[in-house]
Amino acid sequence: MADVYTEEWFEAVRAAINVRVANLREVPKGSILIAVDIVGDAVSPYVEAGGERHFLVQIDDGQCSWYREGEPDETQELSFRFLGPAAAFDEVAAGLLDPIDAALKGTIRVRGDMRFLMRQADHVKALLEAYRTIETTWPRGAPPYVLGCETANA
Amino acid sequence: MRETYDAIIVGAGHNGLTLGAYLARSGLDTVVLERRHEEGGGLSTEELTLSGFLHNVHANYHTFVDLAPPVRDLEIRRHGAEYVRPEVQMASVFDDGTALTVHADLERTVESMARFDEEDAETFRRLHLEAHGYVDLLLGTLMYQPPMSVKELTKALASFGVDERSEFLSVKLRRESIDEFLDQHFKHPKIKAHLAFHAAICGYTTDVKGLAIGFPLLVGKIDNWHLCVGGSHRIAHALWRDLAQHGGTMISDAEVDHIVVDGNRAVGVRLSDGTELVARKLVASTVDVEQTFLRFLNPGDVPPELAERVKTAVKHKDWTLFSVHLAMTAPPAYEAASFDPDVDRAWVVNLGYGSPADLDEDWRLVRSGLLPDPRPNAAVNTLYDPTDAPAGHFTGLLRQFAPFALADGGEGEWDSIARWYGERCIRAWRRYAPNITDDVILDWAPYTPLEIARKMVNMVGGDWMMGEISLDNLLDQRPLPELSQYRTPIDALYLAGSTQHPHGFITFGPAYNALQVIADDLGLKPWWRRI
Repeated sequence: MADVYTEEWFEAVRAAINVRVANLREVPKGSILIAVDIVGDAVSPYVEAGGERHFLVQIDDGQCSWYREGEPDETQELSFRFLGPAAAFDEVAAGLLDPIDAALKGTIRVRGDMRFLMRQADHVKALLEAYRTIETTWPRGAPPYVLGCETANA
Repeated sequence: MRETYDAIIVGAGHNGLTLGAYLARSGLDTVVLERRHEEGGGLSTEELTLSGFLHNVHANYHTFVDLAPPVRDLEIRRHGAEYVRPEVQMASVFDDGTALTVHADLERTVESMARFDEEDAETFRRLHLEAHGYVDLLLGTLMYQPPMSVKELTKALASFGVDERSEFLSVKLRRESIDEFLDQHFKHPKIKAHLAFHAAICGYTTDVKGLAIGFPLLVGKIDNWHLCVGGSHRIAHALWRDLAQHGGTMISDAEVDHIVVDGNRAVGVRLSDGTELVARKLVASTVDVEQTFLRFLNPGDVPPELAERVKTAVKHKDWTLFSVHLAMTAPPAYEAASFDPDVDRAWVVNLGYGSPADLDEDWRLVRSGLLPDPRPNAAVNTLYDPTDAPAGHFTGLLRQFAPFALADGGEGEWDSIARWYGERCIRAWRRYAPNITDDVILDWAPYTPLEIARKMVNMVGGDWMMGEISLDNLLDQRPLPELSQYRTPIDALYLAGSTQHPHGFITFGPAYNALQVIADDLGLKPWWRRI
């Protein structure tokens, strides 16, 4: 069990990704750097309204090397960027929102080379499905936030 | 004129200027060469009728505003381009006096459609909402990236389970026409007619198999039509300003005679006046592949099999546009306004296509080189941009789907029949807007398919898309598979015009995508937000 968006949680996601990827017959070679930009939406209690949190995920030969909070520096070239409201990312992390549905509907915006996403569809699915397999705790309230942030944790 | 540059770009249309501006901002000494007396290519605004009336000769509709990265990266708005998104985007007026209107506000569009068929209106709402999501995903990851294959795309759609997740997007669409898509999802002929009409003015022929796969994308941006205040040419000015402010140069009246190749590497160009310009790093052509490979390059510099394929396998649109530009003292007052008053505020109006079959009949005639009885579409830019005409006056633009080569007389016949056919188009408008009388029309000027080809020599056969829109001429098939990734068999020679993925229209996509390839090849550090 790990609190969402903490070091322990990042590590749990990383480990879950690698377990799932290990079962794939084919994984992409080389390094992939993914940026996740989560925008405060006044719904999620984990990002201040109007503020942003940024995460980086490094994939090397299919395996997740690290997952941490931060933005890319000038020397790092991104392969993908995922951008969207915090509540949507919370719901993905909670296994309530299918990330592929969210991308198709434009709830979560995807930037990068579709060719990679398409050619490595199984790998991408393994990465996304990893979120569903970890046990996440929600100290400030859990999605869905039907009752609002203040009371969702009650 | 200096003689040595890092980058030489042939053609100062929006793609040439866009690529030039990016490269100039990247620190490359860049020159953009233009055969005509001004920059802009299809971004051409001229006083075709009377002084003070600004007519967009080619590009009038801008549907990729705020979707295309260059609009942001090159600060086009800061450089003076101002876009307006009309509240009433589009309309269809029908022979029975009814009208359907498409609004910037989805709910208003649904209300308009519901007057014809409530179930279809709700289907449209679901399609639009779903497609709106695709637009962001596909433009962000597919359109502004070098192209992949249709096969890969459909395989991945299957892999992500899109068929099960989506009501409208399906792998099988690659075998279907837009007509078939409409028949499967909609019932009312007028609603289908309007959606088919919208696809047609986006360049998608509605009876061609395979184009249904692009149709949801078109619906996703059906309410994102913008006009450029003061005329589309303002965008060319904005791009030129960005180029100039970053040290780049645009030279007009600079007709390229030859791309100079040394040891299979493009090293410069020779102009028709004999001037030779040296390119230290690259030459990029934004004109048609026929000129690039068959005219600008020596036969010995082009692999023979490629030359043959450029001659025989490059596909162009089998229809083009006949236009009438008008200077008027009043906007149209449609009879159908008694049914839906918003039609008088609609920017672009379909005059008379009442079913997809009407369009199909015209496609059949046009492909046979015959002139349809005019059912033009009418745009009155002044409704949303009062600066494009003197106070109290209006511009008008009629566009009719038409053949390039006429069955009787070939393309040369256009010069003889331009005014006759133009008058027929005006009469067709008057049928729906009787106030557009000879008294209201101060002047008008036809603009024929032949004039398109004369003025824009890269629009071969009046092909304003610079390549057919069909499944075997999109993505990595455009313009030929071996030329689809912006590189050519000649080192340091790139293709960056609308012959390339995604296609024509003011998408900025070919230049933006070519830029990524050039940046990789030259090791340029992107200053723009690439991802």
